[in-house]
Amino acid sequence: MRAFLRRFALWLPLPLGYSAAALALLKVTTASPGAQRAALGVGLALGALTLGMAVHALARRPARWAGSLALDEHHGLSDRITSALALLGRPESERTALSEAAIEDGLALVERLDPRRAVPVPIPREFAVSLLLGGLLLGVVWFEVRVTRLLPPPPSFEPLVMAADDLELFSDIAQRMTDKSDDPDSLAAIRRFNALVEDIAARRLERREAFERMSELEAELAKSADIDREARELGLEGLARELQRSGLAKTAAQALEEKRLADAAKALRELADKLKKKGQAPSKSELERLRGAVERASRQSGERLAAVEQRRRELNDEKQSLLKRKSQPGQADKAEAKLGENQRKLERLERDQQRAERAARQLSDLDRQLAEAAKDLAKDTQQGAEDINRSADELDKVEKREMSEKEKRELLERLREMKELLRQQGQAGQERMKQMRRFGQRARGGGGGGDEGEQSGKPGSKSGRGLGQSTRIEQVQVPRIVQVPGGSAGGGDPKSGGDKGNEPGSGVQAGSTHDDHLAGDATTPKGETHDVSAAAVDTGQGSASAEVIHGAAERGFVGKAYRDVYVDYQTVAEQSLEHDQIPPGYRFYVRRYFQLIRPRE
Amino acid sequence: MTDPDTARRDVEEFLKKIGALREEIGRVIVGNREVIDGVLTCMLSGSHALLEGVPGLGKTMLVRTLAQVMGLEFTRIQFTPDLMPADIIGTVVLDETADGKHVFEFRKGPVFANIVLADEVNRATPKTQSALLEAMQEHRVTVGRTTHALEEPYCVLATQNPLEMEGTYPLPEAQLDRFFFKLEVPFPSREELHTILERTTSEAETHVTQVLTREDMLSMQALVRRVPVARHVRDYAIRVLQATHPHGEGAPSAVNRFVRTGASPRGVQAMLLAAKVRALFEGRFAAAIDDVKAAARPALRHRMLLSFEGEAEGVRPDTLIGDILGSIPSSKD
Repeated sequence: MRAFLRRFALWLPLPLGYSAAALALLKVTTASPGAQRAALGVGLALGALTLGMAVHALARRPARWAGSLALDEHHGLSDRITSALALLGRPESERTALSEAAIEDGLALVERLDPRRAVPVPIPREFAVSLLLGGLLLGVVWFEVRVTRLLPPPPSFEPLVMAADDLELFSDIAQRMTDKSDDPDSLAAIRRFNALVEDIAARRLERREAFERMSELEAELAKSADIDREARELGLEGLARELQRSGLAKTAAQALEEKRLADAAKALRELADKLKKKGQAPSKSELERLRGAVERASRQSGERLAAVEQRRRELNDEKQSLLKRKSQPGQADKAEAKLGENQRKLERLERDQQRAERAARQLSDLDRQLAEAAKDLAKDTQQGAEDINRSADELDKVEKREMSEKEKRELLERLREMKELLRQQGQAGQERMKQMRRFGQRARGGGGGGDEGEQSGKPGSKSGRGLGQSTRIEQVQVPRIVQVPGGSAGGGDPKSGGDKGNEPGSGVQAGSTHDDHLAGDATTPKGETHDVSAAAVDTGQGSASAEVIHGAAERGFVGKAYRDVYVDYQTVAEQSLEHDQIPPGYRFYVRRYFQLIRPRE
Repeated sequence: MTDPDTARRDVEEFLKKIGALREEIGRVIVGNREVIDGVLTCMLSGSHALLEGVPGLGKTMLVRTLAQVMGLEFTRIQFTPDLMPADIIGTVVLDETADGKHVFEFRKGPVFANIVLADEVNRATPKTQSALLEAMQEHRVTVGRTTHALEEPYCVLATQNPLEMEGTYPLPEAQLDRFFFKLEVPFPSREELHTILERTTSEAETHVTQVLTREDMLSMQALVRRVPVARHVRDYAIRVLQATHPHGEGAPSAVNRFVRTGASPRGVQAMLLAAKVRALFEGRFAAAIDDVKAAARPALRHRMLLSFEGEAEGVRPDTLIGDILGSIPSSKD
């Protein structure tokens, strides 16, 4: 054990020293995981070596008589025990009397021996070095190396901010649509839209996240694409055309042509009732015409599809022959030109076919019912009437589907409006936001209009499209002309607008150059303006529109009168936006303006 | 195999006699316990001792006293440069018998005694010194064609002065090796000097009595030879001897540096015999490592020849032996 401890104490400084050095090195440098593993491996190997050496010492046979000599030394016996043991090992024949006496002497001493004290297991002095190194290692372990690491700044959360007024607008829209709709799909889409508005209101969304959600919703709503609507309308038109051939189904055909599906369904039900009433039963020829019309109507989708398919086949055959001609010398150019035309026709037909297929798919139930009706009318008028009734039900379903899609389209439109609003707000950073806020304030007739107009008019002097451009607009030509001062963005209340706000265009110059990105004529430097006028009829009942507007500016955008005036004006504005040539950048502002001055509850 | 009780009794008898001897010597010789024990060890081992010390330290007195208490014949030879071998060995002389005949008769020299004191042995020429060699080694003397045996016990105690080297003939290595021990006689301490003065300057004369006979001495010598030595003790003595040789096994660096030649096998013989004597002195039945250690200095100091560097550095062999004893462990794998 002494040898074990001594050997261990001799070797222990090696792994300890290495560990301290390696740990210190690893702490002050940035070692790769591989290097760290290697260092650990070497440390473990040195530890194992130390232990191995100590175990080897333990396993080694101790020197002969080492134990008895230690006993002799401890007890001051001058080798009497060792000599006795050594002499005892001799053959008896070789032992002398003195040898025997020495053995007996040694044996007599055995009882006095205290091996534990004679051969203590002292802690080797070499452990002092290990102790020092162990302390050093602990020191290194506790030693904290402060490394300054520049961490990337935490991602800052900048919520998307929308004006309370806008939030209210979109929330109102969602509420209105919810009240109106009973289609589960539409309601789910509206709920998602409302949740988006609520999240923006609660400032839970960042700009990127909000746009992501808007895009998702937009993509979902856009699924019911226009192509479906077109295909359905195409199918219904064909249906109306065929039904028109029968005098009995004329009303229904008329309604279908005008896309009044509810009226068409009602007309079909009336027709069914008429067929059921025995006293008012139509003549046989009328019935036959009706049956023929209904039968053709039930087939028209399939026939159109077949016709398109037939035409496609023809065009494909033509294409093949043109390709052959193209390879013939002298015919290549002509064939090439015809091939291009053929290709275009084919592509068009491709779209027609797609549309026809969709129409057939959407109206398949209605077609089936009409086919049933045509079949039954030939046998039993009563049964045919029932079938027509069921066809009316199918038409109701189509109408419902269309209504749902209409709602979705409206929601999509509102969503795009919101997106555009947010896009405009964020387009040019804080400055743009301020501009939009100013625009909002002035649109609602907020105070400080003159001051704002002056400030924002300056940039407009260059480009000619500043918000504070001093263009005098006679907004509505009514029996009494109302001049709205303070620039195009709403002059505001003259009383609250301040002196400058009451002076149209004061301190503001028109731009001298024209922005190529804008549609329409360049702003004339001379300050010439185009008057916009709208005619209205004074019925003599209630307040004049100008008075209503003035009152709304003073009291707020409430009241039935204001709502009526607003609807009138918005309708005119929408028509102008639809038909007149208006620079694209301005359409947004016009719509935004009407959003801001919308009637409130 | 004899009875261990007998052996025990022999040892007890030995101790008694040694005790009596020491007591009697102590009546004349003041202090010098180590020297007395050393001389006794040499005598009990049947060997010879070289005593080194300045004149006047009682060397002759010690030897004479020893001879008296043991009842042995004692002679003293004062070695001088003109001392001839015949002066110490003896010579053949022409003698006239009673009937008038002339015969050659051998007249024994001073070596024919039990204890011979060769005073200042290094003052005689090597020729005379070597004449002593045969007597010391062989315990016999050859004169002419006749060999004369020396009576046992036979012990030569030579002295030499370590200071006066002028006109001396240092003993050759071979002759030095024949001395069992080289004992250094120290200068007495103050207390010892008081006692010496008291004894030697007063009226009272100190007489010693014989406490041993020649036979006792011989039986004691025989007992010494019978003392067993365990292998580990013998092994230790051998390792010590090996370490006295430069670059020998276990030799300390000082030995490698300062020693020219290590001790001869006679050195280890001397150590073991002395160990046996010491064991008996202490009443033990077997020699021990401690006994070897105690015998190492007197047995080896004159057998280790220093190198030029060692002499130049003034290294003492005792120091080197101390290094050896300190470096060799009691047991070996």
